[in-house]
Amino acid sequence: MQPETAILIGIMFTVATYLVLHRSFVRILFGFLILTTAANLFVLSMSGTPDGKNAPVVPAVDTGAVMVDPLPQALILTAIVIGFGTAAYLVFLLYRLFLDQKTTDAIALYRTGPTDEPTDPPTS
Amino acid sequence: MNWPALPFLLPLLTALAALFMGRPGRLRRQVVGGSAALQLLLALYLCARTLDGSRLVLGIGGWSAQYGIVLVVDLLSAIMLALAALTALVTILYGFVESRLAVEHPLRLPLVQFMMVGINLSFCTGDLFNLFVAFEIMLIASYALLTLEVDNWEIKETYPYVAINLFGSVFFICACGLVYARFGTLNFAQIAARAGTMTDDPLLLIIALLLLVVFGIKAGLFPLYFWLPNSYPTLPIPLAALYGGMLTKVGVYVLLRMLATLLPPELTLIHRLLLWLSAATMILAVLGALSRNYIRGILSYHILSQIGFMLLAVGFFTPLAIAAAIVYIIHHIVVKSSLFLIGGVAAWLNRTDDLERMGNLWEKTPWVGVCFLLQALSLAGIPPLSGFWGKYLIITVGLEQRAYVLVGVCIVASVLTLVSMLKIWNGAFWKSSLKILVHREDPRWKRMAALCGALTMISLGIGLGAEGVFRVARQAADTALDQRGYIEAVTRITNPKEATP
Repeated sequence: MQPETAILIGIMFTVATYLVLHRSFVRILFGFLILTTAANLFVLSMSGTPDGKNAPVVPAVDTGAVMVDPLPQALILTAIVIGFGTAAYLVFLLYRLFLDQKTTDAIALYRTGPTDEPTDPPTS
Repeated sequence: MNWPALPFLLPLLTALAALFMGRPGRLRRQVVGGSAALQLLLALYLCARTLDGSRLVLGIGGWSAQYGIVLVVDLLSAIMLALAALTALVTILYGFVESRLAVEHPLRLPLVQFMMVGINLSFCTGDLFNLFVAFEIMLIASYALLTLEVDNWEIKETYPYVAINLFGSVFFICACGLVYARFGTLNFAQIAARAGTMTDDPLLLIIALLLLVVFGIKAGLFPLYFWLPNSYPTLPIPLAALYGGMLTKVGVYVLLRMLATLLPPELTLIHRLLLWLSAATMILAVLGALSRNYIRGILSYHILSQIGFMLLAVGFFTPLAIAAAIVYIIHHIVVKSSLFLIGGVAAWLNRTDDLERMGNLWEKTPWVGVCFLLQALSLAGIPPLSGFWGKYLIITVGLEQRAYVLVGVCIVASVLTLVSMLKIWNGAFWKSSLKILVHREDPRWKRMAALCGALTMISLGIGLGAEGVFRVARQAADTALDQRGYIEAVTRITNPKEATP
């Protein structure tokens, strides 16, 4: 792994952890977005340094150059799509939470404590 | 015949069919119910096929095992498939009885089937990244089901569930990346073949710890379980039974698969860590159960306490201990989902599941009481009910390994389980008060109770036929622990010329 990529991933993980530990659910969402990107970058960096290597689509016969390992790229393609879907879901959940409770701050939300006395199961 | 692909193709097709049928209707219910029954038959067939310890391997697309997707079904997977299908069938039928067509949410059945796709795929897969995809399918469907029918007040309990599982997924991707960097493959068999030669590599320990965190979140292991006891009670009863019975057990299954089949057995540090974490889970969760005062809350905490028992057995890591864990999983899934359903019937009859406002059930509906009593005592581990045999095996293994403290924790947790079950018994069934009404006008509760009775009979059968169940579990444990056989089976199917690495 290249040192500059490693440092970048480290910074992104730090920022994401900082955001996730906040009380505001919106910041947790942003932390999650940065965290998925950091994880994808981490997996991408597993294909090694790309210097002097060909992109996986170009046949390497004439130049004799080595291909970059394509598998991590295939993996993060899947991971990006899944991460995008879950992020979209989280945004909607947050929006509904905000509409229902008029706040996204954890302290204000849980002031009454967890629902010790839940509503009765629906009988229909 | 590509049998290993059917367990997840069947629910996938059912889900799509149910989606295209649109509004809830009688035909749609028949299709989904029939498909659930078919899934159970299929899983039982797979059990019969793998009973001799063989493995059904399918290389999808004919790629080499190192890069392609491989599906592997061995006896352990087949048992889990059968349990998942049984739970799904019973909870779907319970849902049919409980809610009338007019009030059924149109997305509930398709989402349950999508969740079954994820659950079944994670039992069948032989590839780490495919496992990640399976987990995501399962989790996204479970998020959607969790928030589908919650009211405005309970929506805040679902956010921690979604958030913690998202972080689990991110760590899972990181673990996949590390595994690929270290082993150059994501295939279980190839990882097992290569990890066996590098047991003193520190990176292997890091990978194992990362996987422990990821699957510990899914299973609800001690420091990572806070999301579960508040979010599960927000679900409607049949879904709570499905979640409580199956979802956390997927985490347990995968941990078992990782430690037994994937990682070399010399990783004793992980096993020891798992032992103490599961002991903590067991005792803290049962104390949590004592603190709750409504049925769904108590039962949700009990899921965690029982997870502690299973993972304790996995942590002991002898063939007998793995077999004990499998016996315990078989017992637990049946008992736990039936307890949720019985709780649902009780809540239906009293129109609440707050123990303060319940009562009179033993007097008015003794058969529901009998079902509850049998299952609750089984959960606590009273012989000859099914829970006793699992606990007996775990304690035997513990005594063999001279882990007296852990055995003591087991026994204390069992006694406290009994106490909290007695709390439900006293509150809902035994207490008699003139002020509390039992609503028996609507006859639907009889059919719901009959389903609970069927599960109770199965659980009784497991308890009385413990010898046979144990033999099957022993065979499953031996197959799961046989790394060499696993590697051979996978490499043979994808590349017949390639010898065992």
